Amino acid sequence: MTAPKGGNFGKVLEIDLSKQTYKTRPVSEEILQKYIGGRGLGAYYALTEYKAGKNPLDEDAFVFIGVGPMSGTMALSHRTCFVNKNPYTGNINHSECGAHLASEIKFAGWDGIYIKGRARKPVWLAIVNDKVEFKDASKMWGKTTETAHEMMIKEMKDPEIRTVVIGPAGENGVLYACLVVERFRAAARSDTGSVFGDKKLKGIAVRGTKYAVPVADNAKFLAAARVNKENNMRGEAWEGIKKWGTGGLMELKHFLHGSLITKNFQTTWYPDVVKIGGEEAMRTFWKRHAACTNCPTHCLKLGVIRSGKYAGLVAEGPEYESGGLLGTNLGMTKFDEMIALIEACDAYGLDNISTGGVLGFLTEAMEKGAIKPADLDGLKPKWDDGDTYMEMIRRIAYKEGKAGKFMAQGVARMSKQIGKGTEAYACTVKGRELAAHDPRGDKIRAYSYTMGTNGGDHHEGQGPQALGMTAMADSLVICSFTNFLLYGAGADKITTDMLNPLCGWDWKTEDYWTACKRIFTAERILLVREGVSSKDDRLPIRMYREKLPAGPRKDVVFTDADQKDMEAKTYGFFGWDAKGIPTEATLKAYGLDPFIDELNAAKKKYNL
Amino acid sequence: MEDKKLPDVLKKETSRRDFLRGTATAAGSAIAISAIGGIAPKKAEAQYSVQGVPGTKPYAQKYRFAERQNCTGCRSCEFACSLFHYGTARPALARIYIAKYKDIVDVPVMCWHCDDAPCIKACPTTPNSLTKDPKTNGIILNEKTCLGAKCMKCQEACPAKYIRGNPDTGQPLICDLCGGDPQCVKACMEQAGNPQGPCLQGRPLGIGVNMAFREVTPEQAGKDLANLLFYPNVEGKRVVPAKSKTRKGR
Repeated sequence: MTAPKGGNFGKVLEIDLSKQTYKTRPVSEEILQKYIGGRGLGAYYALTEYKAGKNPLDEDAFVFIGVGPMSGTMALSHRTCFVNKNPYTGNINHSECGAHLASEIKFAGWDGIYIKGRARKPVWLAIVNDKVEFKDASKMWGKTTETAHEMMIKEMKDPEIRTVVIGPAGENGVLYACLVVERFRAAARSDTGSVFGDKKLKGIAVRGTKYAVPVADNAKFLAAARVNKENNMRGEAWEGIKKWGTGGLMELKHFLHGSLITKNFQTTWYPDVVKIGGEEAMRTFWKRHAACTNCPTHCLKLGVIRSGKYAGLVAEGPEYESGGLLGTNLGMTKFDEMIALIEACDAYGLDNISTGGVLGFLTEAMEKGAIKPADLDGLKPKWDDGDTYMEMIRRIAYKEGKAGKFMAQGVARMSKQIGKGTEAYACTVKGRELAAHDPRGDKIRAYSYTMGTNGGDHHEGQGPQALGMTAMADSLVICSFTNFLLYGAGADKITTDMLNPLCGWDWKTEDYWTACKRIFTAERILLVREGVSSKDDRLPIRMYREKLPAGPRKDVVFTDADQKDMEAKTYGFFGWDAKGIPTEATLKAYGLDPFIDELNAAKKKYNL
Repeated sequence: MEDKKLPDVLKKETSRRDFLRGTATAAGSAIAISAIGGIAPKKAEAQYSVQGVPGTKPYAQKYRFAERQNCTGCRSCEFACSLFHYGTARPALARIYIAKYKDIVDVPVMCWHCDDAPCIKACPTTPNSLTKDPKTNGIILNEKTCLGAKCMKCQEACPAKYIRGNPDTGQPLICDLCGGDPQCVKACMEQAGNPQGPCLQGRPLGIGVNMAFREVTPEQAGKDLANLLFYPNVEGKRVVPAKSKTRKGR
């Protein structure tokens, strides 16, 4: 086992919550070169440690908090990756979010944090450099995310700590509970909140002052990092994101692309978007921009509501996804109420996207008569009814009453329970709600929704190449805004130029693509082990059946030809067969041969 | 930068290309001047050159300013500082840092280069381990004579509560203005220049800021800034509907 030359320390912090102990788990250079870090390393751990059918809520199930070789360097990398087997979908899932947490983990001297076990009483972890303290979280238990975050800062007496916490939703085991990082950022699409809650882990605070990331060839690396940063500062591509965040996309996607979801995917035409979109936010809400570590793009916007019922509410957003799912998806026309819904989800620690999907689905089901107010403890959701939605969010977070428990299951399970034709408008892929891009208007987004490991995730890459590049970006762990969304396929050169001097590697651009495909295929093996194949790589029925009734993409529908084309291109690019199963030759080519037997066993078991 | 030599101020004049890249930041600086001192921006521009603006002559650094509401909290100043002084990206060693206040505002905490320098007055060694460079106003630490963590009288004396200890040696981290060409200002100018203008700026004259800001601790500054930006909610609290009393634990 060789130690890494640069970029990584070669050690992951392994924490056992059951025994309240911690130790260093060494990672070899060979593994890091193959799986990079973050999402890739998480997939590797799942591949080698989990058997098929592993219960995600077992005591020894892990949550991997991954960072990459570039985190904490000058290379413009600031995201943190969370990997776990997900009780919501039953698959291995990953989610990423920005802020300063990743570099802090690096400065504390770790390449990642691997958490297993289950505490008897609620705990939170204080990680300061090499030391881990298990602290009592019984006072924090039940508190909203920002209160828990404040309490951690108070107890550590250090405002510079970076935190990740769960809210009441995670504690109560809501299946789509998220993690909230540093108060305003959320890692949600892996639903790690419920796993944290099951482990009785309220949160983690990290402070790193001791280490700097080792660099193999400093001068060369700084030059390459400088080129990347210059492009990001000068590139015209992100002028809009700098000014508007992703909130500005709401108008753009509505008026130009015709892909802004509206009222549970009924249409994409919603002229009232001007009342709740980016321009309204710019006029009446936003006050300042905030950035992740070392990033010139500062896409996070903070604002304050200045009048009305929610006057004085300091909140973040709307982003495209949160504004779409909790705004246009619910037919909202009042900006303040939408922001309050977004903020309530963040405070309770709920995934904005899944929560919006649940509320939208129930409203349509109520409209169509599939459910009655009696089924929801007297709640009667209807479009643009902010107060009822707020009450529903609260009941979900606390799983209050019959309705709360029912809604906390998510759209797929609710639809199955209700029946009555609701599956026609239950919009999920692989058991997860879709994000705010309607795949009929934005067909290339269907790659991300269907082919991505998470399913229903908007951020898995649009197109076969992008699927691979996202796998790489999430393993590195870098932001797609600063990488391949800026450079397109040219990201391979920029990335290898930075990686080679940083880690002392000798990568060519082909090696970049092999690593992309290896990581994505490794995750596919994990999915196939659970019985996933091409039959699951499909959009919700609504996308194939119902034409868009209005808007720039009027009468467009996602056809079977589109589906076939997408499958052929993706499976072909990664070297999988027509059913979406990686072939033996592919596994050998990517160095994944130890898993051939397992794959064959799964093929036999599920008759694929 | 590589050999940690202080950059030659005059040599900078020849590398115009760097200056040309910074054109976009000129407007931001002009606004900042008018905001700070009430001096007519055009006259000030003509009289005192501005860093990063093409066609102006660089000067020896005297003071730095922070247009606090422009700070995005990206910490590029911290990275640039530690890279210049230690050749590595490690914000814990930076001589400027970003303090958070309730995570809704970011406050750049930096040395104001007070004219009377209470930190130097407080230094117990003879001769003082801290000295002021008369040309640039930078404060230079003599690492050989500094008593380090057991003393830190400078930290107590600092009116802005700016001085931190070096996590490795325990000695104070204090700003030397990079010999007249502060890297933090450069990094901020080019990085945060869009769309609201840069936060950090350097000028040869204090225009009153030096006295006005120095008594303000990071926490007070954060509170003030939150008040200023997020009025009417001074505490930055979230409004969350009250918890139901009937809920049961899991």
